[in-house]
Amino acid sequence: MKLFPNKKEKSYSIIVGCGRLGANLAGALYDKGANVLIIDNNKESFRKLSPSFGGISLLGDATDFFVLNESDIKNATAVVAVTNNDNTNILVAQIAKELFHIPHVIARLYDPERECVYHELGIDTICPAVLSAKEVDRILNMGEVTEEAI
Amino acid sequence: MKRRIFLIGGFNETTSLAKSLIKKGYRVTAINDDRGKCNALAEIEHLTVFVGDGTKPFVLEDADAYNADIAIALTDHDADNLVICELCKKKFHIKKTVALISDPKKTEFFYRMGIDSVVCAITAIANIIEQQAFLDEMATLVPIGDGRINIAQVPVAATAPVVDKKLWEINLPKEVIIGCVLRGEHSIVPRGDTRILAGDMLVLISSAKQEMAAIKELTGR
Repeated sequence: MKLFPNKKEKSYSIIVGCGRLGANLAGALYDKGANVLIIDNNKESFRKLSPSFGGISLLGDATDFFVLNESDIKNATAVVAVTNNDNTNILVAQIAKELFHIPHVIARLYDPERECVYHELGIDTICPAVLSAKEVDRILNMGEVTEEAI
Repeated sequence: MKRRIFLIGGFNETTSLAKSLIKKGYRVTAINDDRGKCNALAEIEHLTVFVGDGTKPFVLEDADAYNADIAIALTDHDADNLVICELCKKKFHIKKTVALISDPKKTEFFYRMGIDSVVCAITAIANIIEQQAFLDEMATLVPIGDGRINIAQVPVAATAPVVDKKLWEINLPKEVIIGCVLRGEHSIVPRGDTRILAGDMLVLISSAKQEMAAIKELTGR
């Protein structure tokens, strides 16, 4: 039996960086039935993956072309860069977009200030600080609304 | 107005570059995220030093990157250097950006991302070492006079550019002479009209400075 019987039709996501976000995301995507490969340069990081994760984990530096080729990045439909280093995420995202023309490239940036530069390259960025701020704002506003309702 | 150059990250490279650029009359600004290194850099005369992470836009802004002419990224991390150069290019519109990289395979990619000049230290060093190694292989050196003068034995391969040329046709540097030609069992003290054949062994007497140029001229490598 093949590991991925109908690989061509399925989406194939590569996640770079096996931190809390990377590991959770990998688990969630796998549960939805996608092919998932996760790269990290530290073997210990893979312990964060949930036991039910059945995708591939690849040990190596994702900014190294050799490792990227090994991950079969050419056939990926999405690349998500979520290491703990903004600049590494940017480098990985740009390689994925410019050299391998991956349709969906997402980079996580801790520092929202750099975002403007990368938007024009077609790289989607998510910034936890901005998202958290929005969410806090939403919850606070919600509180106001309910108070008014009462 | 003096041209302004930004040196971001790195320490040894920044120190020596800053000194030579200041001597040449540029206005140099160094940015480093290590306070201790900044203190050391600050001892260089006429060098402006900023403490901060050069990959952050506000640090570059504080250092007045809008008015820089050249930005050189010298950190140890390829990713940081890429980000520095892209910020400099896109946000601060600096005309020329230079990045140091450690992975030679990324050179082409960096050029593609719009960086004007990519310097790969490893490739440069490898080339120098290779040259030295080749030199050892094809010439035996005997340094005399405290190493100011070298006597070198240079074999002439069939592919060498000097094959079938007369001595006076060869464009040797000034402080170099061919003292002897060893051909098979014979040794010839050459004159201007002596023809060099493939398989000859040339005994070269040269000043240490000119010897590389001479060997290159003779062997083509």
